[in-house]
Amino acid sequence: MTNLDGVFRREWGPAVAALARWSGDLTVAEDAVQEAFAEALRTWTRDGVPANAGGWIVTVARNRALDRLRRESARPGKELAAVLDDITARTDRQGVPHRVRDDELRMMFTCAHPALDPQPQLALTLRLISGLTVTEIARALLQSEAAVGQRITRAKNKIRHANIPLRVPPPELLPERTPHVLSCIYSVFTEGYWSTAGPSAIRDELCDEAVRLSAEVCSLMPDVRDGDALASLILLHDSRRSTRVDADGALVPLDEQNRGRWDRARIARGLDRLRHAAGATGPYLPQAVIAATHATAPRWEDTDWATICAAYDRLVAITASPVARANRALAVGFRDGFDAGLAALDDVADDPRLARSNTVASIRADLLRRAGRNAEAHHWYLRALDRAGSDPAQRFLRRRVRECAGGS
Amino acid sequence: MHYFALLLGPESADAPDPEAAAAEMAAYEAFHAKAAPAIRGGDALTPSAAGVRITGGPDAPVVTDGPFAESAEVAGGYYVFEAENLDEALALARDIPAAKYGAVEVWPMVHHMPPSQPLADNWIALLLEPADTVLEPGTEEWNELAAQHAQFAADAGVRANGGAPLHPPSTATTVRVRDGEVLLTDGPYVEGAEVANGYHILNVSDRDEAIKVASMIPAKTVELRQLMGISAL
Repeated sequence: MTNLDGVFRREWGPAVAALARWSGDLTVAEDAVQEAFAEALRTWTRDGVPANAGGWIVTVARNRALDRLRRESARPGKELAAVLDDITARTDRQGVPHRVRDDELRMMFTCAHPALDPQPQLALTLRLISGLTVTEIARALLQSEAAVGQRITRAKNKIRHANIPLRVPPPELLPERTPHVLSCIYSVFTEGYWSTAGPSAIRDELCDEAVRLSAEVCSLMPDVRDGDALASLILLHDSRRSTRVDADGALVPLDEQNRGRWDRARIARGLDRLRHAAGATGPYLPQAVIAATHATAPRWEDTDWATICAAYDRLVAITASPVARANRALAVGFRDGFDAGLAALDDVADDPRLARSNTVASIRADLLRRAGRNAEAHHWYLRALDRAGSDPAQRFLRRRVRECAGGS
Repeated sequence: MHYFALLLGPESADAPDPEAAAAEMAAYEAFHAKAAPAIRGGDALTPSAAGVRITGGPDAPVVTDGPFAESAEVAGGYYVFEAENLDEALALARDIPAAKYGAVEVWPMVHHMPPSQPLADNWIALLLEPADTVLEPGTEEWNELAAQHAQFAADAGVRANGGAPLHPPSTATTVRVRDGEVLLTDGPYVEGAEVANGYHILNVSDRDEAIKVASMIPAKTVELRQLMGISAL
């Protein structure tokens, strides 16, 4: 059965994408592939998995969709009859869908269309491309099933009624549309890797999916340098996934992680992607450079802070993000001394966009602790704890609070 | 398919500087020249101070004179586009001069009833609904309301000069252009406020007749605004 799960996970996205092109409707596509999977579960467990599992799914899904549309168009309602005519004509014209790779790219651009807000983009991508169920998405995003279901339905309705085209945009639109696809995949990763609330620091299936989707984007759009930068960034961070949480479920800071357990294969792939990313202009390249600098330092003491600070400078120039500026302050602290780091942090500390996060408090606490000012660090660790964080982040902060209380 | 583009922006109380007004006019003429094949209608609206709102529906209409204070952004014009898909409609909307200083809401139409007579001096009746009570097209309630609007158009005769029901606000997209960058947001410009879910164009001789006819429209709130009659569309 695990075997079938793997097949399903692999075949879901391409099958939905193929059916979406063929039927022109995301709901028809999703329902038909769902039915084909149910059929596969019945027959494959009896007869074994066919050699061309993907082709089998698409053919069965197409037949199911036709059956259903015929059944429904027999009742009053001209709309369905029109859909049926339309897709029958397409079937005759195009035969069995075969341009699977194009179909997947088309789906990525449709799900990440900028006329949809980022949250619906994310939910739609996880449902239609990654094949997560509404329950799984709700769990991964820490939202209610009803909210996720509603968001997906609303997004599909907008695609249908506002006629968001199911296509890869024409060349003149690609430069403004591609960043939305990359940003959507980046959100899959950040939701998985930097969960800001809840019992788990890392949601493995989202991380795995981000690795897979970013690799897909690189192979589908090999000339998009920002895609390589994104894939590199994801692989390099993800190489540390198993060392980021200790046996007690507390976050482990970078300088205490067991570098021997970092995933060398992922690091090698990440560095390889980084070489292809030269010339990328978006926010991912500097982040990948920072991750690569950490990944290649044999020990914490060997970290090349000058390179990291330079990368942060570029990141701040590109995004003007206050979070990037706060993290840059920490890097400046390691390069120029902790007082310099604290001064750099003061420059961003009052940014209203950081008011509800514990970013500034925890970075300030870390700089003060490293400077030996434990009493002040203790105060700021407590402040950081006041703001909600994931359970593992809270465990880590409580550990620091204890350490600083004892040391001062 | 057809899209309704509603132009929103700040409304100045002062008379416009003639030079700025001429530049504005030229910008719209340039837009019309470029977008002509896709434009199916549209016009600028006279200031909201000259408009009225009618609430309470045909049974007990209450008329309030403009301007309507609750929003800084006021409808200043509209277009009807015929476009292959939303990307085409958004490409048109971003070129509308109002997108640079205000915003353009792009609404898919359920269907479009083109005007049967020239638009000059007509009035537009925007049908406003609280965002959370908008009906889904195709439902029984929606069909019933659509039948009432068809009845209104029949009763109004030659004074009803086309219009359209719009899809729900969740299908709208707001387009703004700032520093040359196109910013899209999901949904209408003002969150949670009353939203347009359709409009009628009224071919009437004066304001009093406009109010009389608009009072027959089966809607909770109607915003009635006179067209400038300058677009020549």
